Amino acid sequence: MVNAALAQFQQVFIEESLEGLDTMESSLLALDDGGDAELVHTIFRAAHSIKGGAATFGFPEMSSFTHEAESLLDEVRGGKRAIDGGIVELLLRTVDCLRGMFARARAGEPLNDAVAEGLRGELAAAMGRGAAAGGVQARREVDQADAWTIRFRPHPGMLAGGNDPLRLIRELAGLGELAVTAELDRLPALDRLDPAECHLGWTIELAGPAKRADIAAVFDWVEGECELAIEPKHVVAAAAAASAAPAAAPVADVAAARAQRETSAESSTVRVAIDKIDGLINLVGELVITQSMLDTFRDGVDASRLALLEQGLAQLARHTRELQESVMGIRMLPIASVFNRFPRMVRDISQKLGKQVRLELVGEHTELDKTVLEKIGDPLVHLVRNAIDHGLELPAQRRAAGKGDTGTLRLEASHRGGNIVVEVSDDGAGLNREAIVAKAVQRGLIASGEGLGDEAVADLIFQPGFSTAAVTTDLSGRGVGMDVVRRNVADLGGSVTIRSTSGKGSVFTITLPLTLAIIDGLTAAVGEERYIVPLVSIVESIQLQREAIRTVVGGGELFRFRGDYLPVIRLHELFGCPDAVRAIDEGLLIVVEGEGARVGLFVDGLIGQQQAVVKSLEANYRRVSGVSGATILADGSVALIVDVAGMVRMQSRRKVA
Amino acid sequence: MAGKRAAKDTGEPQAGAKTAAQADAGAAVVALPPDCRIAAQAALKAQLMGVLERGAIVLDGQQVERVDTAALQLLVLLRRELGERGGTLAWRGASEALNEAAGLLGLARILELPAARPA
Repeated sequence: MVNAALAQFQQVFIEESLEGLDTMESSLLALDDGGDAELVHTIFRAAHSIKGGAATFGFPEMSSFTHEAESLLDEVRGGKRAIDGGIVELLLRTVDCLRGMFARARAGEPLNDAVAEGLRGELAAAMGRGAAAGGVQARREVDQADAWTIRFRPHPGMLAGGNDPLRLIRELAGLGELAVTAELDRLPALDRLDPAECHLGWTIELAGPAKRADIAAVFDWVEGECELAIEPKHVVAAAAAASAAPAAAPVADVAAARAQRETSAESSTVRVAIDKIDGLINLVGELVITQSMLDTFRDGVDASRLALLEQGLAQLARHTRELQESVMGIRMLPIASVFNRFPRMVRDISQKLGKQVRLELVGEHTELDKTVLEKIGDPLVHLVRNAIDHGLELPAQRRAAGKGDTGTLRLEASHRGGNIVVEVSDDGAGLNREAIVAKAVQRGLIASGEGLGDEAVADLIFQPGFSTAAVTTDLSGRGVGMDVVRRNVADLGGSVTIRSTSGKGSVFTITLPLTLAIIDGLTAAVGEERYIVPLVSIVESIQLQREAIRTVVGGGELFRFRGDYLPVIRLHELFGCPDAVRAIDEGLLIVVEGEGARVGLFVDGLIGQQQAVVKSLEANYRRVSGVSGATILADGSVALIVDVAGMVRMQSRRKVA
Repeated sequence: MAGKRAAKDTGEPQAGAKTAAQADAGAAVVALPPDCRIAAQAALKAQLMGVLERGAIVLDGQQVERVDTAALQLLVLLRRELGERGGTLAWRGASEALNEAAGLLGLARILELPAARPA
């Protein structure tokens, strides 16, 4: 039936509408900063598309809600109303409310809630009432009647545009009983008919108490593609409806579509630029050519053609690598989608705190993996909130410090080597060393601040339960900020560092791998087994003398490394590998760092460095502690990837126990 | 017109095979596809144009699952064309989808659609 297709289009509609809402939001913010009239048009267009789409795809509540906002925008657009902070604020809240509606639409829940109802009232109040009619018909007419006459004549091209009058009339049938008369006067002769053009017209009598706006909303999507007249018919029409039964059909449609939506809410999609796909097709073509070239060696290789074979293999290697990079590229999206939420957030927070903040966004086009992108949002929100709440000062304090009233908050993304670096910097007061040390001592994290370097002090704020905010605000200061940031970033295989200068500001640097699907690792041998240790977490590899190991009671083995005693984790014990090297001086110790702590992993030896394509162990087997995934080596055997952070956690648990 | 239709209609109760034989004697039988929407209309039009000369066309609408305005518009034109030529258009059944769409578009009577029978 139609339902599966409808549900599919609903998903696309929701995704596009969310993008439209982003556009509305950023345009509203720009308007608030004194933007031009073109912005109003942009906002209006976005609202209009959402309204039309919502009506088409079976979200009447959303359509009528957006209609209120659109009417307000229309007055602004027509110059009947000046835009002011109040209207911008109201419309921003409308955007938020619509986002909520879309989220509920995805989940198949009822769209309206108290917020929406309240906001609808506010929008109507802002309009000062009077005009409630839709965009298709002339305004300020009767907008409520018991019966309507609708004359509807599509332009010939409407069908080809994907709009079917059948669907529109079916939707009308949901508003009341219909008596439909088709007008055949403009039909051409059969042999001259282009079947993709529409030459029919309709006069539709609608019986039932309907609002003009509701009727107009049905035709919103085809505005400009048809002639339309909606007139109230004051006589209560008792005319026999052409068909009453279809009126029940849309209800069933919606219910089925909702069920469909629930099942498909899980899967997400990536929009891929055409040129990326063309590049892929191109590469696959090259691969096929190389393959056919290598195919000629099927009958055997003689010495005279050895050079050709080598050349072919080299080509194969190059194309495979390029293909891999291009396929990875499909998952890469610009960080702009994350950055774009900040102008609004910074505006709201700074207003609340009475601070003046200028936000600078740099490197929005930097691309990173979709998975990383989805998870980097929350840590960045924490950092930005902290920077405004704790970092930047109030205007008076800034003046006293000889700085301008307005603080600068800068978000910058860039590629550095194989990593993505995102920096959040502010020109505020910087970290308060004394306050951090005092708090850390109070919380029992350290005994005293003596002998601690600035770096070590800064690192304290990443400890769980740490917060120096004098007053707990609803923005930050619950002490669940920075440790969560560090953990989230660590989960993505990245790290967070701080540079801070007192009085000049702070820079938080998040370093992330380009993708989670491939890691650079060192292959280590343990007995017959091979393990991959992620390169990012490796500090150093060392060979120890037997004397360098201290054994502590109940605590296992420790070794001295740059002034610290670090625990030794013997991989052969942990994973139960027979035939492994047991004597410390015969094997190798890989010093790794995870979650801010270091441990030494004892292995037989190192085999080499390689890129490993990560295969999920959970998806193929089950979760194993100490292992983050698996990969397949060149000889076809499976090697496990060591979960460094997990091992550090295991080690600290062992220490406690 | 109504008389002709009535004759055809009464001539095809349940006994599909017999009706098919009757129809094949003089009329061209055209089966409408399950997805009878805009994309299928160019082909359908060509098919209908091809059998227009026969004068009598029997449309089989029992398979139609999806139908749109473009399809019904084409059928209305066929109906009119045949009427002008003195030919006949009859139905060998029409699905619920076809009936519902024609009803909504106010074309059911013009097309002389038979009511849908449960298969």
